Amino acid sequence: MTVAPPADKEGTGGRPVAPSGWLGWAASTDHKRIGLLTVATSLVLLLLMGVLALLMRGQLAQPDGHFLDPLTYNQVFTIHGSGMIYMVMTPFAIGMGVYLVPLQIGAPGIAAPRLTLLGYWLYVLGAVMMLSGFATPNGAHADGWFSYPPMADKEHSPSIGSDLWIGGVMLATTGVIIMGWAVLWTVLRRRARGMTMLRLPVFCWSMIATCLMVIGAFPALLAALTLLAVGRADASVFASNVWNIGYQHLFWFYGHPVVYVMFFPFLAAVAEVLAVFSGRRFFGYKGTALSLLVFAAISMSVWGHHMFATGQATNDYYSLTSITLLVPAGVEYFGMVGTVLGGRLRFPVPMLFALAFIPQFLIGGLTGIMIGTPVIDYHVTDSYFIVAHLHYVLFAGSAFGLFAAVYYWFPKVTGVMLGERLGRLHFWLLVIGTNLTFLPMFALGYLGMPRRVATYATFDGFAWLNLLASVGAGVLALAMTAFTVNVLWTLRKASLGRCEPAGDNPWDAHTLEWATTSPPPRLNFVPGRTVPPVTSFAPLLDLGQREGGTPAAKEASGP
Amino acid sequence: MNRDGLKRQLPYVVVAGWGALNGVLLAVLGIYGESSLVFWLWGGVVVLLELAALAVLASSRSGPDQQVRYRVPYRGAAAVPPAAFGCALVALAFVYGLWLLALAVPLLAVAIAMAVHGTAAEED
Repeated sequence: MTVAPPADKEGTGGRPVAPSGWLGWAASTDHKRIGLLTVATSLVLLLLMGVLALLMRGQLAQPDGHFLDPLTYNQVFTIHGSGMIYMVMTPFAIGMGVYLVPLQIGAPGIAAPRLTLLGYWLYVLGAVMMLSGFATPNGAHADGWFSYPPMADKEHSPSIGSDLWIGGVMLATTGVIIMGWAVLWTVLRRRARGMTMLRLPVFCWSMIATCLMVIGAFPALLAALTLLAVGRADASVFASNVWNIGYQHLFWFYGHPVVYVMFFPFLAAVAEVLAVFSGRRFFGYKGTALSLLVFAAISMSVWGHHMFATGQATNDYYSLTSITLLVPAGVEYFGMVGTVLGGRLRFPVPMLFALAFIPQFLIGGLTGIMIGTPVIDYHVTDSYFIVAHLHYVLFAGSAFGLFAAVYYWFPKVTGVMLGERLGRLHFWLLVIGTNLTFLPMFALGYLGMPRRVATYATFDGFAWLNLLASVGAGVLALAMTAFTVNVLWTLRKASLGRCEPAGDNPWDAHTLEWATTSPPPRLNFVPGRTVPPVTSFAPLLDLGQREGGTPAAKEASGP
Repeated sequence: MNRDGLKRQLPYVVVAGWGALNGVLLAVLGIYGESSLVFWLWGGVVVLLELAALAVLASSRSGPDQQVRYRVPYRGAAAVPPAAFGCALVALAFVYGLWLLALAVPLLAVAIAMAVHGTAAEED
């Protein structure tokens, strides 16, 4: 690989220079910095959204609660949902791609780094704009993350916080679309010599599928929000049913694929972790790559299942395609289980999160098939059953993949390992808290508790299940405290030079990012740390086998 | 397209094939029936995806499938933050009034000027 740097590397090439330091970070064209900024911003917002969740669970812990008034409760659940989807999970997923994809394909940078940076800044400013609604006289937006008209029109939601929400979500989504294009172009057109498409790591295939959904589906959200903004300016727009239902089509055309945008990169992170800590190649590589693409395409066709109860969608078709999703999902599960079975397993913290992901996401997936069937959906629509389902997908599933990714790639990004003891404490508290919080919600929904209610009566019979869920939320807060302390403490120790260096490849991992230093240099691969020969989707495993090196490689090569 | 040609054009095939699969699913929906808005929306997306595939194809034909030489900016892009703040002000102008464009437009102009003059942010 040859990198063509500017003619004058040390100087400025005659251009005026802005200062380094924080401004250097803020205006960096290094994909690792942009990716880190994106991931770090979304992690900070994750903590904030967690606080909002605690407020909600505090309100619902007892019947007839008065901890939050109904209007404040509406704002809290709206910003929690919007924040988690638009500002946390989606940007984190794409941010991981920005950081990892160039490293995994042996490239020194990302395609269109300046545009990628612009994408990050639009995301940040969008998040600030959305959250600033809390500082307005009538408070933040309060109509839920999908904000159906006419509820969200000017007459029913006159708050300026709603306008800020629309503008903020549009800015952030535009930023994510830009970053998605850059990641897609990078993986398709910037691969190093030897890195053919069929040698791409599973994570890169997941990013291809993810970014195709981003460029295909996300513009529909911009269209939906534009329609909402126009409708708020001109009340006659939502006077007819055409644009009320039209808004729902536009919104859900984005709203279902985004679930998989928030899922595939974390699924692939789990796949990488399972392969590395099973000491073998990922099982069923080609089938999994193909299934990701098919899964992504079918996911573009299922949005109408969110509209079953309107009676104005073609329920047969959307139910058929929703249930069809089982096939590619099954292929991916087959790959994950096949990788673990017969492997020589190790159980560091990333592996614990990856293993927990498998059964927990299964609960989310199977309940998704249930509510993809209209007869069941009619019974549980807009109930806590839906809340439980989406949290099993996005928290018990995706968030566990997110934490597997954080613990797995932390030594590559920082050069030091996260604390193992606090990591295990974080894991077990998170498993207990997740299931204690969200499992009772299935029963609550089935018994008839509607979502988005600020309180309930004692005679409803929802009290003890809600109390369980609130206790679980408290356990989740403890888990996140352990995680935050672990990260901050490790970074503090590292800055004082009290951490053992993790080394370039502390896990005996298989993909190219582990061939360079930890953290990687500015251009990723430099003389002395060049891209090794790429002979499969697990090039470092191949290298180890040829040299008879790592234990994982010896195990994979067999007797 | 022979086997080698297919391998070389695989990025194009992936994007175009994915768009085509969307087209097939849309065609099946056509059998069931839906509102015309849906066909315009999803049909437009299929067209967008095929255009993206053509862009990939054009790029593939003008260069190697795998790179051996890269041009990467070594320095930063100081014009980007003011450009983003300018965009945010434009969004805020729709909330608080078009007078904010009086701030947004000069800021965007500064960003453009910085980009044209190639102002660099020094990285550590």
